This record gives sequence, structure tokens and C-alpha cells, in this order.
Amino acid sequence: MSKSTLKFCCIALLTVAGAQAAPWVKGYVVAFYEPAYRFGGRADYSRGTEIEPGVDCPRGSTVHFAVPKQVAQSLSLVRWRSPKEVEEIANPPATGLSRDPAGVYFHTWRAASAFRGYNREIETYINPFAAEDPGQPQVTSRIGEGFNLDGKVKPGDFVSPDGEKGIDNQLYRAWGCDAPWRGANGNGTLVLRSNDKMVEGLYTIVLRISGNKDPMNDDDVTVEIGYSPDQIVKDARGNVGVDYSYRLLHSQQYSKLKARVKDGVVETEQADIHMPQIAWFENQTRDAFFRQGKIRVAPNADGTAAGLVGGYRDFRDLYTQNAFAQSGGVQGVREHEDHVALYYALRRNADGMFNPKTGRYDGISSAYRMKLVPVFVVEPERPMDIPSRVSEARRRQAFDLTAGATIKAVDTLVVQAVPSGSGELTATDGIEIGVGGVPIRGRGGRGSRGNPVADEKAKGPSGRP
Amino acid sequence: MVPPAGPGVFTAKPLGRDSFKLIVAGHAFTSRGEIEKYLAYRCARLTVEKGGQWFTLKEDRGTGEMAVPVPVRDPEGARYSFRMNYFRPVWRYKVNGSEEWRRWSPFAGAPFPLADSKSVSDFEVSAEIVVRKGPMDDADPLAFEAWALSDLLVNQVSPPK
Repeated sequence: MSKSTLKFCCIALLTVAGAQAAPWVKGYVVAFYEPAYRFGGRADYSRGTEIEPGVDCPRGSTVHFAVPKQVAQSLSLVRWRSPKEVEEIANPPATGLSRDPAGVYFHTWRAASAFRGYNREIETYINPFAAEDPGQPQVTSRIGEGFNLDGKVKPGDFVSPDGEKGIDNQLYRAWGCDAPWRGANGNGTLVLRSNDKMVEGLYTIVLRISGNKDPMNDDDVTVEIGYSPDQIVKDARGNVGVDYSYRLLHSQQYSKLKARVKDGVVETEQADIHMPQIAWFENQTRDAFFRQGKIRVAPNADGTAAGLVGGYRDFRDLYTQNAFAQSGGVQGVREHEDHVALYYALRRNADGMFNPKTGRYDGISSAYRMKLVPVFVVEPERPMDIPSRVSEARRRQAFDLTAGATIKAVDTLVVQAVPSGSGELTATDGIEIGVGGVPIRGRGGRGSRGNPVADEKAKGPSGRP
Repeated sequence: MVPPAGPGVFTAKPLGRDSFKLIVAGHAFTSRGEIEKYLAYRCARLTVEKGGQWFTLKEDRGTGEMAVPVPVRDPEGARYSFRMNYFRPVWRYKVNGSEEWRRWSPFAGAPFPLADSKSVSDFEVSAEIVVRKGPMDDADPLAFEAWALSDLLVNQVSPPK
């Protein structure tokens, strides 16, 4: 159906039936998608979002693998390493593997970080339970966004900015100080990166809200959310364009929920929600499964809307999604986060999906913000599934293998080896990781595909080794 | 995964409603780390068995045993599921055929005395814990999340002999 035809139909429906009792529909595309963390720092701080303290995180963002002191502290928990060894890794000599001093730190630290288990054979990111907890700064403030998912008001719950008590968003408590996700107005490094990728076409999320009475007050509303195969269209200024048409697939990443509208604010029933999860690489593009989830959409005066989706998410999904788009070590050193600390923080703060077999919680309450731009949401001409990209199949398989091994490890507590085909220890800039966290010059690969350009760069301008 | 302990190797004595004193005893000394880890594992398992989620360790500081500072809370600092560096139980031991028990406290400032395993005829290492329920006080350096600690240690420990 064309854009103009749809627009005409909607206008006609609203005009003919009047505002009292007429079918109505609104469509939105998600233009910005981020965890609902509430930044409490100073926006004018000279080092941007890296470390500024605030009411959310009194000591600022995490500095894991950012400075030698922090690295030494983390590695001192590795019992099979001597203090001398720890000191040498924390302050590697610039005559080592690379001429680029930053590269020396990067490769030495990412290699050492990948082997912190109770013996030197254990790869840490696949077996996080086998390493000691290096500690994670957590959110200490009381104000947080989200939903009261369990209907209770508990001591650790947040109070919403509107004053609602009992807000369950323990993901914010656990990960709200994590450097790449913390920042004012969505400028955490991974918030920016994932949104850039989404707007540039990595994936698209659309919502369709339809009712039968008054769009401002209606107790018989349906909210649909899911993946669209259509790339986000930008306007001449580079903003997400208004009023374009997007297909909504009834795929694995699709949900249909009952809802009601009160004074223009849409709020769904509490139910399981499937929709695309945040991603910044294709291999992460998967279902975000919210258990006991809810969606709220509040309209803005300019026609856009503010969306919030929340629910309990499986800690294994959150951990693997964050750790293995590249590899745990690359991600940790580049983003100044430590996935062992993040793993323990997730499990410590888990508050949903109680598993009677283990007596533990497998889920953590969470909430995500969405900026919504009005568009037309239409059905595809014929049923279709989420398209796959053949060029990404190998990276996707690497992610699946690594995530599968991790889930098996944390579920069984049987230490898992790095699967063949995983990207965990493969070369980055020509440097692989050996058992025990030893950086070794490899065969010139990057990830699972190889990166000859980076290898040439590592050799220096003349191309000599 | 952890073999059962022999008779008399492990005891857990109730001290109050949620307080327990756990003792690991043996004759064949291996290493301080191995035996203390086994005790820590038993503390974690006891907590789970009693329906708790976490426990706090009560430091056993004798008179004058203040060479090592008392750990303090840091509410603004990093939070932890456990900190093994603060799991510091007290030892008793007999050496060189003596019938006299000697005490070693990790807080007194003296180095750990049992370097030669052959000279040790008996040892006991003990910890007093309080089993806790509900959300963990992860700013307390002496708090240990039972499941996380058990997960870490389950493949590492075995009871001493």
C-alpha cells in the first residue's frame, strides 16, 4: 500500500466517524533506543561521559581496563599470577608486540583479561563464574525509570521521575555506571554506536497502535511492536523522516498486546514481549524477550512520542549480547568495562524469572527508552521472515557458538573450552591470545575473517615487520 | 562435584537463630588456600541449605589482633558478590608432636606459620557466619553471596583429611 493511500485512509476514518467512537491507528518508527538509565552527572565535565561523578554513580563511570592501577587491582585477584607478573601486565613495556604504545596496552590487557579463572587454562568470558568478582560500581540514587513489574514496593526499588514508587529496573542498578552506557542525552559510546547503526540500517523497529474509540481515551486498544525489513528513512537534515511507510513483520520479533489510552498515554497489559534488541553488529540482532513486559507511549506536542518498554530479561541474553559482538577482551578494554564484574552484578541484582530447579533468579528487571517518530505501519504484501545476510553468516555463527558455550558453562558450572569457530581468542590487528592470556603474533587475522589492512598498519609505514 | 567430608572434618555449630560456627579440621595439611577455600565453600552451602541468599563473616579478632585494619564499608565504591581477600578465618594447629594447640590469627600481623606440612599433626580453621535472606548488602566487605561463592569454588575444593 502506498504512503499516500494509507494517509488518506486514516484521515478518512477519523473524519467520517468523528472523535467519539471510531477506529483509529497510529504508527511510529523507533528513532532512538537505549537502556533507561538516568544520568546524574555534570554535562559540562571536561572529560565528557568517561568518569564524571553524579548522583547516580558517585565515583563516576567504570574505569575497568582504562588505567594500569585498575588493571593491577583486577589481575591481583588471579591467584596463579605473581605480583611481579601483575605489575608487568599492568605496565607493559613499549618494546613489546607493537610499535604503537596504545596497542601494547590494548593487546596485553585484552589477552590477560581473557584468562582470569582459578587456573590458567580457563577462558574467562565464556566461564565468568570461575573468576573472582572484580567489583562493579552500582547506581546508588533512588530515581529511575521503568515499571512496577511485580506490583510491590520494595526497599531496592526506584521511584519514577513522576513519583511512582516500586519501579523495577535492577538492570539500571547493576549496569547504570558501566562506561559505554552512561552519559547525558544518550551520549554513552555504545548508546551512540548502536543508534548510529540502527539509523543507518542495521535494524528497524516499528509500533502500531490501534483503537476503536477516542485516541485520547480508549480502553480497547491494541499495540503491536516488532521488526521491520525497511531501512529507516532520513530527511534532508539527517533526522529520522516523518510519515514514511514501514512494513511490520509478524516474525519472532513481534508482539501484539492489549492496551488502554488515558489522556493520550498508551499503556499495555503486562505480557511477554518480543521485539528487536539493541545491537551494534549484525551478529547481535536478535529477539529481546521481555517477560511480564509492558509498553508505555506518551505523545509529544510535535507529533513524536516517548516510548518505554520494560520487563524481565534473561541475564544470559544480556551478558552474551554485551560481551561477544566482538570478543570479551576487545570490548572490555575498548569500552572500559569488565564482563566478569558485569556478570556478577547481573546475578546479584537478578529479581525475576525465578527458577525453582536452582532456587535462583534467571531474570533481571529492565527498561528501555524509545524516541518515536510518526510513520505509517503497514502489512507486508506477503508473509515474510526477518531477512538474513549471507555475508554475516560466519560472524553470526561465531556469536552463537560462543554464547552457547557460555550458557552451558553458567548453567552446568562445567568449565567450557573456547569453541572452534568462536571469535574469542582470534587475532585482532594480527595478535592472537594464547592460553594463560599471552598475546602472540598470529597469522594476521581479525575476528574470524582476517584483516590484512590492520596487519599492514601494524607493520608500520614502510611495511617492514 | 565436591567429595563428601570424612568423619569429624566438618562441623557447623549453631550459635543463635541465624549464626553458625563452622570448623574444618584435619591432619594432613595441604595449603592454607586450599583449606580456607573449602571452609568458604561450606559457609556458602550452609547458607543455601538454611534458605539464605548471603552470609556475613564475623571476624574473630582476639585481644590486640589489630595489625590488619578492620574493613570498612564504602557505599560509594564498587559493589561485590564476594571478596575472597576478606574471607580470613582463624587457625589452630599442633606441630612437631606437641599436644598443645597454637592459634594463628590473620589479624595479628604474623606470617602464616604452617610452611612445612610434615610437621603439622592437627589443624582447625573456623569461621563464624550469620546467614542472611533478601537482597544482599553488597557494600559490606564481609558479605558473601552464597550462590556466587559456591559457583566459584565448587570445582576447586575437596575436604582435607
